Formats: sequence, structure tokens, C-alpha cells
Amino acid sequence: MEVSYYPGCTLKTNGKNFEVTTLKLLEKLDVDVKELEEWYCCGVTFSQSEENLIQKVAPIRTLVKAKEAGRKKLLVLCAMCYNTLKRAVKFIKDNPDKRDVIHDFMDRESTKYFGDEVEIIDLLSLLKLIGREKIREVVGDKRLNLKVAGYYGCMLLRPRDIAIDSETNPTLLEEMLENFGLSPVYFPFRVECCGSYQILNNSDFVRKQTRLIVSSAIENGADFIVTLCPLCFYNLDEVQKEIAEEDSAFKTIPVMYISQLLSIAAGISPEINDFNLHSIDPRPVLREKGLL
Amino acid sequence: MKRIGVFVCHCGINIAGTVDIKRVVEAVKNFPGVVYVEDYKYMCSDPGQNLIREKIKSEKLDGVVIAACSPTLHEKTFRNTVSQAGINPYNCEIANIREQCSWVHTNMEEATEKAIRIVKSIVAKTLLDESLVPIKSPVVKRALVVGGGIAGIQAALNIANSGYEVVLVEKEPSIGGRMAQFSETFPTLDCAQCILTPKMVDVASNENIKLLTYSEVVDVSGSVGNFKVKIKKKAKSVDYEKCTGCGICVEKCPVKVPNEFDRGMSERKAIYTQFPQAVPNKPVIDRENCTYFQKGKCRLCERVCPFGAIDFEQEDEVIEEEVGAIVLATGYELYDVSNMGEYGGGELEDVIDGLTFERLLSSSGPTSGEVRRPSDGKVPKTVVFVKCVGSRDPEHHFPYCSKVCCMYTTKHAMLYKHRVPDGKAYIFYMDVRTAGKGYEEFYQRAQEEDGVIYLRGKVSKIYKSDGKLIVDGFDTLTGRKVQVEADMVVLAMAIRPSSGAEKLFNLLKVSTDANGFLTEAHPKLRPVESLTAGIFLVGCAQGPKDIPDSVSQANAAASMISVMFSQDYLIHEPIITGVNEDLCSGCGICVAVCPYDARKINREKGTVEVNEILCEACGACAAACPSGAAQQKNLTDRQIISMIKAILEE
Amino acid sequence: MIKPKIIAFYCKWCTSAGADLAGTSRLTYPPNVIPVRVMCSSRVDAEHVLEAFKNGADGVLIGGCHPGDCHYETGNYQTLKRVTLLKKMLEDLNIDPRRLRLEWVSAAEGKRFTEVVKEFTEEIAKLGELKVEKL
Repeated sequence: MEVSYYPGCTLKTNGKNFEVTTLKLLEKLDVDVKELEEWYCCGVTFSQSEENLIQKVAPIRTLVKAKEAGRKKLLVLCAMCYNTLKRAVKFIKDNPDKRDVIHDFMDRESTKYFGDEVEIIDLLSLLKLIGREKIREVVGDKRLNLKVAGYYGCMLLRPRDIAIDSETNPTLLEEMLENFGLSPVYFPFRVECCGSYQILNNSDFVRKQTRLIVSSAIENGADFIVTLCPLCFYNLDEVQKEIAEEDSAFKTIPVMYISQLLSIAAGISPEINDFNLHSIDPRPVLREKGLL
Repeated sequence: MKRIGVFVCHCGINIAGTVDIKRVVEAVKNFPGVVYVEDYKYMCSDPGQNLIREKIKSEKLDGVVIAACSPTLHEKTFRNTVSQAGINPYNCEIANIREQCSWVHTNMEEATEKAIRIVKSIVAKTLLDESLVPIKSPVVKRALVVGGGIAGIQAALNIANSGYEVVLVEKEPSIGGRMAQFSETFPTLDCAQCILTPKMVDVASNENIKLLTYSEVVDVSGSVGNFKVKIKKKAKSVDYEKCTGCGICVEKCPVKVPNEFDRGMSERKAIYTQFPQAVPNKPVIDRENCTYFQKGKCRLCERVCPFGAIDFEQEDEVIEEEVGAIVLATGYELYDVSNMGEYGGGELEDVIDGLTFERLLSSSGPTSGEVRRPSDGKVPKTVVFVKCVGSRDPEHHFPYCSKVCCMYTTKHAMLYKHRVPDGKAYIFYMDVRTAGKGYEEFYQRAQEEDGVIYLRGKVSKIYKSDGKLIVDGFDTLTGRKVQVEADMVVLAMAIRPSSGAEKLFNLLKVSTDANGFLTEAHPKLRPVESLTAGIFLVGCAQGPKDIPDSVSQANAAASMISVMFSQDYLIHEPIITGVNEDLCSGCGICVAVCPYDARKINREKGTVEVNEILCEACGACAAACPSGAAQQKNLTDRQIISMIKAILEE
Repeated sequence: MIKPKIIAFYCKWCTSAGADLAGTSRLTYPPNVIPVRVMCSSRVDAEHVLEAFKNGADGVLIGGCHPGDCHYETGNYQTLKRVTLLKKMLEDLNIDPRRLRLEWVSAAEGKRFTEVVKEFTEEIAKLGELKVEKL
């Protein structure tokens, strides 16, 4: 299988661990991943207003590049980028007149993008496509003694027409953890919003959400929380540390990108991770489980 | 050539006012086949009809065209008239020159010309009309009722009391169905058992009812008036001739398994009767759980039975029954709570469905009617009820309304408050639908007298924290998130057609809607008939409904069947679409377009056969037939084309 | 004969009843349409339509029950499929497909029935006489 790959801004900086481990993992699963030679910010920070065509230009420009790259699928890891790009695809398919306006605006691009040429795919759906058999072939029958709370966040599940799974009762993340020999832990706050951008102007709300999500995962016996979104990662990881600093009774739990754990399960050395990017250091738990 | 007489009616001035009758008469005289033309002021009056009869005889007519009003009004009248004069009624046709001509046009010249062409086309048709006789087919005056819940019981009793035999098939060891599991029924709070069990006993004692419990329909052939049904009687391992139902075997049986009737909240034995008032009140051995059948040892029941009624050698038996009509009363089941992961369904023991709560409320239930939660037997002090779980949720589950949940949830909350007066009952709802006699009053009473708290909004999740069930929801009336710490949660799960019913429906070739419920022949005017003649639908098999509605449907189906059985023959209009076997290649295109399953390919002959009693004469097959082998009686391609030519001829 | 010449196939249950209602309501419409009543619109064969054009009809109207309301459950869907195909065939035969029209008219739509007939008659009048080369 071959896919194009769109990293987005965060995965080259704070979210580096997500990218590095995913690329290694996919290599092991015989997926040929090729990063787009030219890509742009997905445009997410502009997407606050409803009727502003300019916000669609960035994602469409990226999709034009993806089309030119010639591969049918475009892997997008960051949940925010996935959401923005996927919605842009839908927008351009549903609004042919506005599509023309956008195309007119992009006078440097000779390629036009109509909506069906490149399929945007997230990591979980890609792993599903790779299939359980192939995964088991790479991972083997061994099971790591790891209880993992899979945290979906919002961006992969909403709105419904771009969702990768049911927004109320999804199962895909747990299924993948299971396929990789990890033990998924069900916890009721797995689809609760982390608070997202509220961290900028209403950090108390994010603290409240983080406390709920983290406590619920711990209460249900998880060793780790995994996420697919750099912003969720930040809110759960960094904010958790802040809460712990103020409240000594508050228990913490390490947060990791799903690929960090899946790559370990697939026998890839955890050394490729930069653990300095974690506010709650996962190494003690990894050591305790004999994985480091 | 036929000798056709045309009778043109003036209808007072209704026709004669805009149509020049004289010109019509003159023109008609020249049409091929027409030997006699007459006009009269009111053709439908007695003198008018007499005139027709006289002229048929004197002019030796063998075809009659009446140019008058719409055939909807007087086709029957005039066909009667001509048959009194000895002509086959299907040789009489109506030319509608009133509703579709004189009344809608003002220019006499134009209206007259149109009238002439209409009459001409009908004459052309009549020339080619065949004499037909209504199709008669004998009726086996016995009915099969599938499903022994309240709907099936009611239908069976009514048919039996009309004097006809009924075969009642129930897959469980006892009849009674879901209603037998209920506690009290809305809106009167009658105890379900008290009103149901007398009917169950009536079934057992009715000489016209052949009751086959622990049995399933495995094959059906034939059609209306004459179905042949194969029924598998599962081995009960108990000889009912000898068994007196004393129950000593049940008492002594050492095997305990979860009791399905109590939704797993109590235990039953491997040899068991479903519930104390079961009909028949005799046990069956559940072979999958019986030590003897599984391991070859035990036979304790055999030893303790004073009558030698235990029969381990009994085998499944397939019997055949002939019936004229079939009632499907296969009922419903609840959508499983495990489909609601976000509500902890299947994981959290104290998150239960409505039917399970019925058992907790029932005085013959596992807790003798005390409300005690399944996990630890404690009396819950706060109970949250959630409505529309799985219903009205087209994105995730089912789009339809399950109809009974509004009322039974209200009843649940009310009965809970009666049992636990210091408890709190919350109901999360999307809407409260109380259309039914006394229903709205019942709902008001729950709020005003029993203090049930209604919260308008959906529940997002239910989870356990510190031993409590936390119910997160949204109150759309205040616009706030609400959280209730509950001891128990009751989910009003969507009503689904019984599992296993689908197989039966396929066997019978009755159609279902997108949700698996049976489709009625017409949603308003034929609500208890299926599209397949002779098969009737009652109760929740057709869609979610409450007891009164199920009973009404059962009564309706029973009376339709009684009407059918009151005649010795089924009489059917003969204008069906037949098959000319010389032309038919057996391609089966007509079979695919027939909505009534009236056409079948006969592999041996290589042609299509028509079950005339099932054909409703739409003619879709005739138009689909590539070779012209399928021809509708008295509306053949030849007739239609000659009508077209007659109209267009200059 | 009154021109243009139009043959109409009405289904017995809906359109013909709608036409009767137009009559009992004393509504008026052009006299160009001569009806042929069939049990169901699905009885109408392509052959019937072609015969009509061949024999000098300038337009053919087919009236059935509204989708979902067919007396025979699925008949009108069969009709819809056939008419869609038939229109393509008419094009190949050099007959303007607008000359064939399928309309849903219920038994309660007397008013709508007259509108359909008026509009169709006008359209056919505009298209003029159909000159069919030997079919």
C-alpha cells in the first residue's frame, strides 16, 4: 500500500513523537509513506467564521498538491488537520460554485481539485485497512501487559459526515489497541471534549475537563491514556502537570500518542521517542512494565 | 363479428347540455360491429334498464356499450342489467362521456367530437371482450395463528368462537407472550396476569383451538384458501398425556440456569414450566442444560415422576396442517442494552431495560414486586428512566418511535414511587406522546400526584463512580447540563421485531419495511392484511403498539377471516393476467414485476404459471412481457391498440 | 378532429378518479385529451405509446398514483422506469421526448388534473403536429 502523507505544523514540532513513531510503525507494516513535497498549514486557525471562503484556500491548496503527488490516499495524523481537510473536501464537493471561486483565486496552481481525487485517511482507518492479519503478523501473538485508555477527543468524530466512527459509542480505537496486543480500558469520558482552544482564554474549563478525563481513566485502571490529537495531548499532558503541581492529592497518568505505544507493541525501540516532549514522563511506567 | 348495441344517456341535461346526442347517435351507427343505437333521458332508471334488456333480446345483441357517467358509478348496475338479459356481464362496457367529457367542456362542437371518440374506443374494446366468469377457489376453513402473545391469543379465540378451527403455534413452552411478563398495565394499572390468564385458559379449553406450544412453523406452501403448513413440534421430553403438572420433577431437578422469563434475575431448573400460570401448565426439558442429555447421567426427574411421564426418547416431530388463512402475531423483543456502550449497557448491572424492570415490579417476579436492583439487591433510592433509547435515532440506531415507551416509562416511574415513596424518579425524554384514551391524564397524574420528575433532553453517558451510576444529560428547557447520581437506570429500549421472525417472513414471502416490521397491504385501508392474500398481520410484528391496539388488530383480522370462511369459495374478479403457454418462454420478467407473488416459473414446462386467486389485475406483467404471452383478460394489447386506433382515426 | 391530438392513459384508482373529480367539480380543460382507462399505469406498454404516435397522436399522457400511493404497491415505479427508458428511445426515433409525459395525479387532485391537461395541451400545441416518418 502507498499513501501520501500530510504532517501539518505541530507534528514537525511539539508533536514530533507522533510523526516519528507512526512513520516507523507504517514502515514495519509495509506501507509506503511519502510526505508531500509542498504543503501548507491546514488552515484550522481560520475556521472560526462560517462564510469565509479564504479559510478553504489553504486546505484546498494542500489537496491540489496531494492530487499532483499522484497517490490515491492522503494520510493525515493530526486530528485537527484531519478535521479541517476532510471538511474542506466535503465543502468543495457540495458547493461547486464556491469551488470555482476558490479555483479562480488560486492562480498559481494549474491543477484543479474537485473532491474525489484524493481520499483523506486518518491513522486508525488506515490501520483498519491494513487489517488485523497483517498487524498480527508483525506484532505476533504476544500481549503487552498494558491497560490503555483510548481517548478519541472530538475532531475525529464530529461532525457526523466526516466522522471515522460513531460519535457516541465508537469502537475503532479499542479495536486497534486490541489488535496490537494491548488491553483497552473503557472509560466513560473517552469522547468528552478536552476543552481545545479554551486553553487560551478559559484555562479553568480545560483544567476541569482534564481532571474529569484523567480521573476517569485512572479510576478504570488504565496505565496510559493515548490520543490522536496534538491539542488533546497538550491539554491532557501539560495541564495535568499543572493540576498536579497545585493539588498534591491529584494522581497523574502518562499521556502518549497512540503510535508511541503501538510502535512499542510492534517491537520498535522506544528510544526513537523524545521523552522531553512529555510533561508527565511516561518512562517510569514503561520501565515498570519492562518496556524500557 | 359481435352484435353491439350502444345506449347513449342524456343524463337529463348533464350530458345532453354540452354533447349533441343526435350527432353522437348518428356517428355511432357507422362504427364496425354496432347494430343498434338508442338514446334515452336517464339510462340508469328502470325504464332505461328495461329498454336495454328489451333491445338485447330483440336485436340479438351480444355486446353492450353504455355511454353515460363514470364506470365507478354504474358499471355494476349495467352489467347486472345485461346479465339479466342473458349476456355475460363482461361484455358490457361504459363510455364515460359525463365526468370526463360533458362536465368539463363548454363548447358543444368539441365536446360532441370528444364524446364520439370516447364511445368509439369503448366499442372497439367491447368488440374484443371475452365472456368471463368469476374465479372460484375452495376455502379450507381453518386458520393458523403464529405466536401466542395477547394478539395471537385474541385472534385465535375470536376465530374459534366464530366456529372455525384454529391451529395456534407458539415457540415457547407456554402461551402468554410478553404480556405475561408485565406487571401492571397502563393507564388503569390492571395487573397484566389477571386480565391475560383467563384468556390463556380459554385457549386451552376451547375445542376449536389446536394449541401447539414449543413448536415452530418450518415450511409453508400453497396460497390463500389453501395453505399447507409444516410445523416442527420440538421434543418436550415429557408425555403430556400422562403428565398432570404436579411439578415434583421441577422441584427435584438439580440443574439451575438463569430464568429467561425473569430476564436472568432468577433461576429455573433444566426441566421447567415458564411461569406459575403457564398454559399448558406442564414442564419441558431444556435439553441444552439437562445433565442427562449433556452427560448421559441423572434421570432424576424420571425417577420421581409418579406418572411415568418423562420421555427422554421423544423426538422432534414435523406435522402438516392445512389452513385457509394465516395470522402472523410474532411479536417483538427489545433492542439489546449492550448496543448502548455509552450508557454502560451490558457492562453496568444496574442499567437495565424496561422489560427487566417489569419483572422487578411484578408480584410474581424475582423480587416479589419489591424494587431491588440486580447488582446487590438493595432498594434503589434514585432511579433514572431514559426514553427513546435506540428509537428516533436514525443516525445510530432506528428512525421510528417505539410508541409504548412514553406510557410504560410513566407507569414504571409511578409504580416505583408507589413501592418506594421516599425514592426519586427522573425521566429523561425527547417528547412525551400520550395519544390514547386516559393516557394524558395518566401522565399528568405521574407528575402531579406521584412527583415524577421529567427532564427534557438526551442522556449523553452513564458511568459508575464511587458506587453510584452517574447520568450525564442535558436539560433543554433550562439549557443546562444536568447530572443525576442514580442507584439504578432503566432504559426504554427500542422495540424490534422478534428475532427468528425474519426467517418465517421470508418463508411466507411477506414483505417487511426497512426496520423489519411486516408491511400491510395498505397503510390506511388494509391495515391488518399483508400484500400476500390470506396472510394477516397483528400486534407488534407489524410495528410497535400497545395492548389495546394489538387486541383491536387481532379482532379485525379475526373478523376478516370469519368473513372469508363464511363462504365456501373465494370469489375473485376474472380480469386477471394469464399466460399464453405457446408464447411464453419462461424468462420470468413478469415474475419479478408482480407485487403479489402470483406468477411462478414452472421449470418442468419452461413457462410461467399464474395463481389466478392471487392476481390483482394491475397488468404490470402484461406490459413487461416481451413476447405478449402475458395478456390481461379484457384489456389485451390488441384491445388497447384497437382503442388507440379508434380514437385517432380521422 | 380537434388538434393537437392527445391520447391519455389513466390508472383506474388515482388519475381516472382525479379526472372524474374534475368533472364533478365542473372544472374545465381543453378537449384534446381522449382517455384510455387502464387498471394501473404499469399496464402501459411502450408499444401502446408508439402505436399512438404512429397512428397520429401528437402527445401521450400517462397518469398514475403518486409514488408510494400506488394501489398495486410498486406499479408506478415500474411505469417511471419504463417511461424514462422510453423517452430515450423516442429521441432515437426523432420524436421529441416532451411529447410523452408521465404525471402523478391522485384521486383528490381534480384541480391538478385540469392543470396537467391544460399545460400538456399547450406544450403539445407549441410543439405542433407530429410528423412521423414510417415507424
